[in-house]
Amino acid sequence: MSALTAAALAAWGVITGIDLVSVLQVMVARPLVAGTVAGVIVGDATAGVLVGMVLELYALEVLAVGGARYPDFGPAAVAAAVAAEGMPVILIGPAVVVGLFTAYVGDWSIVAVRRWNTTYVRRLATRLDNGDVQAVSKAQAAGIARDALRALLLTSFGLLLAEATRHWMPPATRVRELLTAVVVGIGLATALVNGRRLGGARVGMLWLGLGVAAGVAWLLLR
Amino acid sequence: MATPSVKAFVQAGLRLLTVQACWNYERMIGVGLAYTSEPLLRSLPGGPGGKRYHDAMRRATRYFNAHPYLAGLAAGALARAEHDEIPGEQTDRLRTALLGPLGAIGDRLVWAGTLPAASAVGLALSADTPAGIGAAALLALYNVPHLALRIWGLRAGWRYGTRLGRALSTPVLTAALKVVGPIAACAIGVALPVVAHRLAGELDFAGWTATALAAILGVVVTRWVAPRLGAVRLGLLAALAVIVGTAW
Repeated sequence: MSALTAAALAAWGVITGIDLVSVLQVMVARPLVAGTVAGVIVGDATAGVLVGMVLELYALEVLAVGGARYPDFGPAAVAAAVAAEGMPVILIGPAVVVGLFTAYVGDWSIVAVRRWNTTYVRRLATRLDNGDVQAVSKAQAAGIARDALRALLLTSFGLLLAEATRHWMPPATRVRELLTAVVVGIGLATALVNGRRLGGARVGMLWLGLGVAAGVAWLLLR
Repeated sequence: MATPSVKAFVQAGLRLLTVQACWNYERMIGVGLAYTSEPLLRSLPGGPGGKRYHDAMRRATRYFNAHPYLAGLAAGALARAEHDEIPGEQTDRLRTALLGPLGAIGDRLVWAGTLPAASAVGLALSADTPAGIGAAALLALYNVPHLALRIWGLRAGWRYGTRLGRALSTPVLTAALKVVGPIAACAIGVALPVVAHRLAGELDFAGWTATALAAILGVVVTRWVAPRLGAVRLGLLAALAVIVGTAW
């Protein structure tokens, strides 16, 4: 990977990382979007889309309510797209595992930044309680900077993991295929369970079933 | 009453996009809400150097939490209350009263409705169209209502002030809350077979069997056995089992 590509991936990872909570929240942090763009950056858009799709199934579980903890799938999808470059769909399993592990580490990193923000806000408490507008602006800017640093570190970690996986993962195709089957299967289960939950306690299964019927019809009629 | 300028509303709207920048366990988005409201408070009598402005900013930085897209409703309503010279204690009560509804409505409307629906459409299109179409569809389907909600929230908050309950009971919002969950469930249903076909369609019979078994395991574990484990951890544990099992 060239230095320019690595820099572009790191920058994209930071954008997706801060989009999750701190700035905009226009959902470029969603793995489908983050993975697709990362795939374009590394020159294999299809691989980026494929790992983005699998991780998106897992992301359907996330409900970012209140102070809930959740994985960070943006930098994770960037790392997974790098790991999947050049792989056909049946061999993307290890790349998805890279993404899942990076997302899991991202969960912890979000908690760490929240704690860091808490300590910082405590330090500024007197000024904030006095309505000091400069303290307010400073706290906001510092919060964004901390989250950007978090996203950069997480993306770098993910990219290193992706490179390591590409070099050291045994080339045994059968293992890669099995990994693909397992991570896709659990992803589909996640989407199924959460689709039912979102539809409502009594009629969720009905709406989900109608959708599945329409999806099957789509496959048969195309 | 001196109404804030259009420029002040635009600034507040842009700042609303960073309302969670300093999310923390003590004040949650309180600091972000103060940052968002600040341009709307500059036109209080006495200006940014005046007592009214400082009193309002003091109140604005306290603990607050809500769905980030609906925080504009609170920012607008609280700024309006300051302009209307509502007593501080009453403004604080309004602030407290908004905590629950703005969180619950936003979570249901966005996190449990619009987002999964847009995500599912993006997934289904990604399976069947050239690279990028699905991601673009997700962004478009999500961000049109997202940005509309943010703009509406800030404007409605200012318009209704302490009578914000009226804004929350508008027919469009009530209807959206009813249909958005079923739409999301239906969209996920459509995506499931299309995505399964794309991702697992090229596997052989053994691969299909493994996918089906993993899916059954996923449903059983995330629904009944250990719902708090989470899909990511389950996926990682299953992958570890595969690696260790095949190595052994």
